[in-house]
Amino acid sequence: MDYQSLAFASVFPVPSLSHTTPTPIATPDLGYTVPGQSFGSPYISNASGQHRAVRRNLAWSTATRFLSLPKQIVGTNASFDALRLPRNLEIEDALVYLLVGEGKSEGKHEESLVDWYTSEVRLHFANLVRPILEELWNKVFDVFWYEIELRHAWELLGHTQEVLQRVQHLYLQSFSDHILPFLLQNNISSSSSTIRPNRPTHAADAYAADSTDWSFRRDIHAVFAHCVPSQRFSKTLSYILYDSGCKLFRIYARQDGVQPVPEPDDIRASRQRMTDLLQGLEQVGLGGDIAQKAFAHSMDKLLDSFITSHYLKVDWFSKKSVVPQIRMWIRDGFCPLVELVMECLRCDPSNVQPTELQSWQEMALGRLGRARVDDLFDFVINWDRSKGAILDIKEYLKIAGAKQNLTSSFSQQISRRLLHPGATTTYILNVYIFIIRAFHELEPKGVLLERVARPIRRYLKDRDDTARIIISSLLTNLKDESGTKFTSGGELSYEIASEMQQPFENRDHEPDSELDWNDINWQPLPTDASPEYKKSKVEDVIWFLLTLWEREDFINELRNILGDHLLRCQDPEYQNEIRLLELIKIRLGEDKMQACEVMLRDVLDSKRINDSIRASRPSPLRTPELTRQPRHPRIPRKPRTPRTPQGVPRTPLSGRLTTSTPHVPSWTPNAPAGTTLNAQILSSFFWPLLRDDEFLVPAQIQTLQKEYESRFERIKGMRKLRWMNALGDGAVTLDFSDRTEEYDKLTPWQVSVIYAFQPQPGEEQNVRKGKAKAKDASISRNVAELEEMLEMDELLVRQALAFWAGKSVLRETGPDTYEVVEILSTSASDTDAAAAAQELAEVQAQAQAGAVRSQSDVLLEKKEVYMTFISGMLTAQGNLPVNRILMMMRIMVQGGFPFGAEEVRELLTVMESEGKVVALGGDSFGIRK
Amino acid sequence: MALSTGRSNGGGATVAQRLQKELMDMMTHPTEGITAFPDDENMTKWTATIEGPDDTPYAKLTFKLSMEFASTYPYTAPTVMFKTPIYHPNVDFSGRICLDILKDKWSAIYNINAVLLSLQSLLGEPNNASPLNGEAADLWEKDFPEFQRKVTARHKAPEELDAGDI
Repeated sequence: MDYQSLAFASVFPVPSLSHTTPTPIATPDLGYTVPGQSFGSPYISNASGQHRAVRRNLAWSTATRFLSLPKQIVGTNASFDALRLPRNLEIEDALVYLLVGEGKSEGKHEESLVDWYTSEVRLHFANLVRPILEELWNKVFDVFWYEIELRHAWELLGHTQEVLQRVQHLYLQSFSDHILPFLLQNNISSSSSTIRPNRPTHAADAYAADSTDWSFRRDIHAVFAHCVPSQRFSKTLSYILYDSGCKLFRIYARQDGVQPVPEPDDIRASRQRMTDLLQGLEQVGLGGDIAQKAFAHSMDKLLDSFITSHYLKVDWFSKKSVVPQIRMWIRDGFCPLVELVMECLRCDPSNVQPTELQSWQEMALGRLGRARVDDLFDFVINWDRSKGAILDIKEYLKIAGAKQNLTSSFSQQISRRLLHPGATTTYILNVYIFIIRAFHELEPKGVLLERVARPIRRYLKDRDDTARIIISSLLTNLKDESGTKFTSGGELSYEIASEMQQPFENRDHEPDSELDWNDINWQPLPTDASPEYKKSKVEDVIWFLLTLWEREDFINELRNILGDHLLRCQDPEYQNEIRLLELIKIRLGEDKMQACEVMLRDVLDSKRINDSIRASRPSPLRTPELTRQPRHPRIPRKPRTPRTPQGVPRTPLSGRLTTSTPHVPSWTPNAPAGTTLNAQILSSFFWPLLRDDEFLVPAQIQTLQKEYESRFERIKGMRKLRWMNALGDGAVTLDFSDRTEEYDKLTPWQVSVIYAFQPQPGEEQNVRKGKAKAKDASISRNVAELEEMLEMDELLVRQALAFWAGKSVLRETGPDTYEVVEILSTSASDTDAAAAAQELAEVQAQAQAGAVRSQSDVLLEKKEVYMTFISGMLTAQGNLPVNRILMMMRIMVQGGFPFGAEEVRELLTVMESEGKVVALGGDSFGIRK
Repeated sequence: MALSTGRSNGGGATVAQRLQKELMDMMTHPTEGITAFPDDENMTKWTATIEGPDDTPYAKLTFKLSMEFASTYPYTAPTVMFKTPIYHPNVDFSGRICLDILKDKWSAIYNINAVLLSLQSLLGEPNNASPLNGEAADLWEKDFPEFQRKVTARHKAPEELDAGDI
């Protein structure tokens, strides 16, 4: 503006083009006429006011024109002052007049210059800067909806910060150059001009200037903050903080999936970069609440990532907890970072309190613990090596709510990963043992174990083979079994067997720890223990396994398995068995164990009796040629003998015997003493039901049996024996024309069947003629003949035949007809036939395996009786639901009803198909009328 | 009598065992036309059924009975009543039975099966000398067809009886 126009403007103020000119310039406010005064004179109301208004207008116009902001974007570094006219006296006057002089705004209807400047700034910002920023942010967000492309984050924030800083500088420069000094000057001048300097006034004025400054800054910061999309901003910022945190701590497993680029020496740089950015943001007013929230958020994520990246790896070798390291990291790594950031953001207070430190450590521990608990199942099945992880969890358990989390999470893991039909019982048992061990470490009081193990125990109880596996594993001798036996699909659990090897600890003398008042290490029970909870005194793994069932059920099962085991056992001392019984007696108490003890005593006594009988034998039974050593346990039945203690009605025996019997001519006796018979005498009352298929054993054995019987009667005072031919085993030596083979551990029916291929008394003379004719003398027999000869069940005959055919001893010459293979040919057909037969024999043998009758056998046998029971029950009591029938059966059937609802339902189905009962729905059944 | 007093201690368990055994025997060797079964887990109350013997007015009819065993059983007789209404000289209208072996002639060698068999034969051979139902005894002697008619009229099938209970 040239001087003329300025002069002109001083007289006739030109309305500013950049802003509105206050109204009084155009139309002077004449004021209103006060009632009672004459109308229309400009001098009537407030001439001085009018005068002031005009003067103010002039000053306003001058000042605002001077202070107006440029209408275009300023270059990066160009100072705005360069574009601005120099401040001259007139402007200064106007500023002084408006800011501190008479022209100061009065009342609310007059705008103050500061207010005007503020709105000028707003306007400027809205018109010029905001579009730039919006473009900046929108560009990045266009593609990615809300997610910022991560690599842009730094740029974006940096750019934003730069722009804002520049405009802020622009705004503040004018403000502090042209407005603030006058306010302060006023203070000084007013205080100096005051006759008596009044410090309070001075202070108040300085305060006023400060507060003007402060509120101006607040206003522009508000404008800035409003302009930046707050949600996106906080996300971006939190990402940035997270990113730099990750870099600082070298975190590998980041939540954003960014693979860290190894930049060895950029830690310092990135730290600097972060500090700069944060400080810049703070300066432009973006460091407030939003940034703090973003910071908190990012630190939260950082903690997670750090733990995931650095501490989730389990140290499988040193077996140590990582918790101390985490605590250290929080104290020495995390806290300094937080303090740094807080300082940049000018938080108050900017240092970390000890309580905060502690709560962060707990947070970290909580995260670690939760992450560990999610994998607890894996730790458990890798127990021992995973001890470090378990110790971490142990620390974690100290945190409130941790136990609930652990219980529920682990239960889920168990039900998903363990308790399903695909897992073998052995596997479940092994895992259960691991759980017991791991949880013992986790919480020695056992409350937690009790809680998590409940579903497993329930599940194991429902499995049919659990008891069998446990007991047979307990009976397994770890030392002489090869490792192959203990596969996860197998029937034996290595873990149980190894537990069994551990020495007995006599815990009876251990004082009750709850009452031991001298125990320095005493700990109260955990708060979540139920009031009745009592920690079991003995607490080894076997105790947990043995208490899976009700005592009585378990002992019944034990009786069955032990019986089977004793009959097969090869160990003449029965050490494992004795040990097992001792162990169970210690664990479960002695009562009801009578049956098992009797069984054990039976087999031990049998040995003694065998010895004494053999000693009393006058001359060993000698028979030519073939040696055969079947061991036949049999059970003799004897009418009530008053001599038996407890009035036991039957005294059964089982025999093991060794005999020689003649066969095809070319046999040499392999023991001069001939055959020996070892019998096992079993007290049938105490033994479980044993299989007693009846068939004839070879004549020689029969003779031996008779002899044995008579001697036994002599020793045992007229007690009679009932032989159980289906039990026991035997060994034979077969001499063929071209070979001699020995077999042992044969079942009695296999022995009998092969013996039947001996020439019978009628046929004998043909065969006796000599070796040369042996081949011709090969005897062939068919199934029906054998059945008749041996009075044996067809099933057994066939099974034995298949067995021998599999061994290439017999050959099938026609349908159901077999003959002895005297000379082993190498022809493929024979080999094939043998292989096929062997396969068949194995399948059949499995079906025949147990010496003790299985439950399903019992069910089959007693089916008729049970069905009569059920129909009697339904007749007497009307329609009943299955569960009630089951309950009644358990009460009423003499000797107990060892079955469950499933079997009852099976029986009812059979009865229904026979038309005896009718299903009424709702699981109820009634008699068909 | 001496025996029964001597046995009173722990009689409950003994009775239950004895009854369990009898039940088992009856289940393993069922007798044609006779069933008996405990009412509930308390073994001392049973329900039995007998079928009327052929060639008697009761042929093809089924009768329900209740049996109750005292704790002194088998040294005292069980209390037996007909639940199914029956027209019989030795049975009154509330089902009480007049049979010597259930009264003074009881002996511990009897068992449930024996009692029920006796009752079954009583149907065909009433003891008209000491009737509980005089009219029936008279009709048996004098008007057999009428007796037959009354037997049939009074009888109810067990199902009807059950329905009546509800």
